[in-house]
Amino acid sequence: MTLNLLIAPDFAPERFGGWHMLNALLQQRSGLRLHLLMPASAHEQAELLAAGQVDLVYANPFDAAELIRQRGFSAFARPVGKADEMLIAAQAGSALRRVEDLRPGCRVAMADHRDVKLIGLRLLEAADLHEPDLQWQLCDSHQAAARRLIKGEADVAFFLAETFHALSRLTRSQLQVVIESALHDITHVMLAHARVAEQVPTLCATLTGVDSSHSSDREVLEALGMPGGFEAMQAEDAEFMVDLMDTLLD
Amino acid sequence: MALPDMLPPAQPAQQHSLLHHDGTRRTVFCTDAEVAFPDGHLIVSRVDTAGLITHANDAFVEMSGYLREQLLGAPHHILRHPDMPRAAFADLWATVGAGRKWHGYVKNLRGDGACYWVYATVVPNVRQGVVAGYTSVRRKPSRAKVAEYTALYAQMRAAEPGAAA
Repeated sequence: MTLNLLIAPDFAPERFGGWHMLNALLQQRSGLRLHLLMPASAHEQAELLAAGQVDLVYANPFDAAELIRQRGFSAFARPVGKADEMLIAAQAGSALRRVEDLRPGCRVAMADHRDVKLIGLRLLEAADLHEPDLQWQLCDSHQAAARRLIKGEADVAFFLAETFHALSRLTRSQLQVVIESALHDITHVMLAHARVAEQVPTLCATLTGVDSSHSSDREVLEALGMPGGFEAMQAEDAEFMVDLMDTLLD
Repeated sequence: MALPDMLPPAQPAQQHSLLHHDGTRRTVFCTDAEVAFPDGHLIVSRVDTAGLITHANDAFVEMSGYLREQLLGAPHHILRHPDMPRAAFADLWATVGAGRKWHGYVKNLRGDGACYWVYATVVPNVRQGVVAGYTSVRRKPSRAKVAEYTALYAQMRAAEPGAAA
């Protein structure tokens, strides 16, 4: 039996290899056969999930809410010390230094990333700005959003904080942070569908056993950008996060 | 559960006697100080079905002006500010009690007598079809909303039975 493992398409491009390394390691240690699915977009992810062949998902928090509450998935692990935060940046030297400096009509560049957009909109409430008040510029990637900002084609850009901090030093030197979220409680989660519940204990033990104190494991975790590895997640921990996400939807 | 009265702060403060929905009374003190909501943060807490605090994140503890040990197990109205109208909390409990999400602007009283404003969302925690408690998440409100609700709540307070004419 092969389990299909889908990875949410919001990781930084340089993490692509890390997921293949982790997949190989998990198969080798657990004896389970895993087939990695790496959709290029949220749309492609939705198509794969709708086809009903996905057994395991490394899901972003907002997708996790739907997958847990409506699609029969349960959380069993999450990355350690890797909360999903977002960041709003402006061009370096811009007069936009805090959220309250933004005005209706502001041009916002961002990649197609629902979590980032939703959390960003919550942060903009402090300036009484809501989705229709802004001019949205959808970009192919966070890097493209940064370029647009640097060229002055957008006033601010929304980023996954981790991705912003991974931008080159030269790029970051041309940008300034307006606000960075510090939500702490929201993370990606590893989910399993109920039909593969029998395999979850083995998979969870293998995944949480990947330990950065071993050099070979450390290489994999560093390639993933998750030096702390994974920890087991109880159902109630996931329910708590889903409740929290629910409060952010409107 | 009766909360101990607040201790008078060092700064000049107004004294109030709050009557809570559970019939308990508490003396509180309010200064003129307002503490700014921390940018980028969420204030998160959970209560059980009796309204007693079971979880408080670090931002909640820091903004409350209390120690975590003082908050856990205490009724959530430990943060009740006398400027808040009764109808706001009645609406909150009626809404979440019916299994729905509640949003509202709330002025909270810190343990040191200062206040802080939040935009609060409360959701019921439904587990196996049963409400097991409530999660409250607070976000930073705009200053325009704070001004609007300061005026509205003052009107509502003035219209409450027993309010000074």
